[in-house]
Amino acid sequence: MKIALLFLSIPLFAALVSLNETGFQKLVSDHKGKVVLYDLWATWCDSCRAELPQLVRLEAKLRSQGFELVTISADEPEAAADAEKLLKQFAVRGVVYRKQAADDQHFIDSIDPKWSGALPAMFLYDKTGHQVQAFIGETDIAVIEAAIRKVFSHSTITDNFCCIIVGIFLY
Amino acid sequence: MFRTLTISLGLLAGILSAQEFKLGSQVTDFSIQDLDGKPVAFSTLRGPITVVTFIATQCPVSNSYNQRMNAIYQDYSSKGVKFIFVNANRSEPASEVREHAKRVGFAFPVYKDADNVLADRFDAQVTPESYVIDSAGIIRYHGSIDDSQNESHIRTQRLRLALDAVLAGKTVDQAETKTFGCGIKRVRQSI
Repeated sequence: MKIALLFLSIPLFAALVSLNETGFQKLVSDHKGKVVLYDLWATWCDSCRAELPQLVRLEAKLRSQGFELVTISADEPEAAADAEKLLKQFAVRGVVYRKQAADDQHFIDSIDPKWSGALPAMFLYDKTGHQVQAFIGETDIAVIEAAIRKVFSHSTITDNFCCIIVGIFLY
Repeated sequence: MFRTLTISLGLLAGILSAQEFKLGSQVTDFSIQDLDGKPVAFSTLRGPITVVTFIATQCPVSNSYNQRMNAIYQDYSSKGVKFIFVNANRSEPASEVREHAKRVGFAFPVYKDADNVLADRFDAQVTPESYVIDSAGIIRYHGSIDDSQNESHIRTQRLRLALDAVLAGKTVDQAETKTFGCGIKRVRQSI
């Protein structure tokens, strides 16, 4: 808990947890074991606002398989209340985050050095905590769903392969 | 056979979408369109130092920079710097760009990049995003205008510092920068 607080500073608003330049890697580490889509969005980003309810529906559809949607608002501090309002309006589940970085460039690079900072931006991680795909700009929700399902099917093959290897070893 | 063809086309698409104009590389001539649809060559617009900036009409981040862009244009035009402002968004036609420029009071012309051909060559992703090109056509700076959408939070005037350095014949300290902005709405995705 103390370690977590080192990375995640005290939330400014009840539901929004602040994330600094080192917080994202901690977040990824904490979510190992799940397939996670990190959605970087902002209240000023029309496409992000349009995608949010679709992502919420997608999470509800795939949650039982171990999928989680994690939203991170890239808004400036003065827009945090608006971000919180939107997240409530779209009934986004779980802990929601917002950027609280001294330097936006370091924050962007901490998420993906190849990322320009363009929104919308989504990053798909597998159960081992590795990034498998980045979706930059407007992306069809069907494309995102297909990518998530592909990660799950790959995980199943890998899990089964491991079980066979362990089985052979034990035999 | 079909699989081979598919893979070959995929590789070809990858090669064609590769970024051509990078930091430190030379910008060759390119063509954009004025708001009447007439082609305009870079060679006719460039100066000893040229700034190419991708902007938008509907992006709140780009719009928050409208007056800052006007100020930079006015401050550095007198020093011989040429500015090329480009709208590459598929969702913002020339008529909208013209109306927007008039409404917000741009002191400079705005050009269209039909089918985001130029944005692909620069691999521009976000609005606003700037490139400073020196007299030899080399990109000496790529990135944001400054480090905050909110003017009251600005700590570094990145584009101004880059222009000051290039004008003085010096190396730009922070030659590649990033901030949050709206993704360029392409007719096709380059990444």
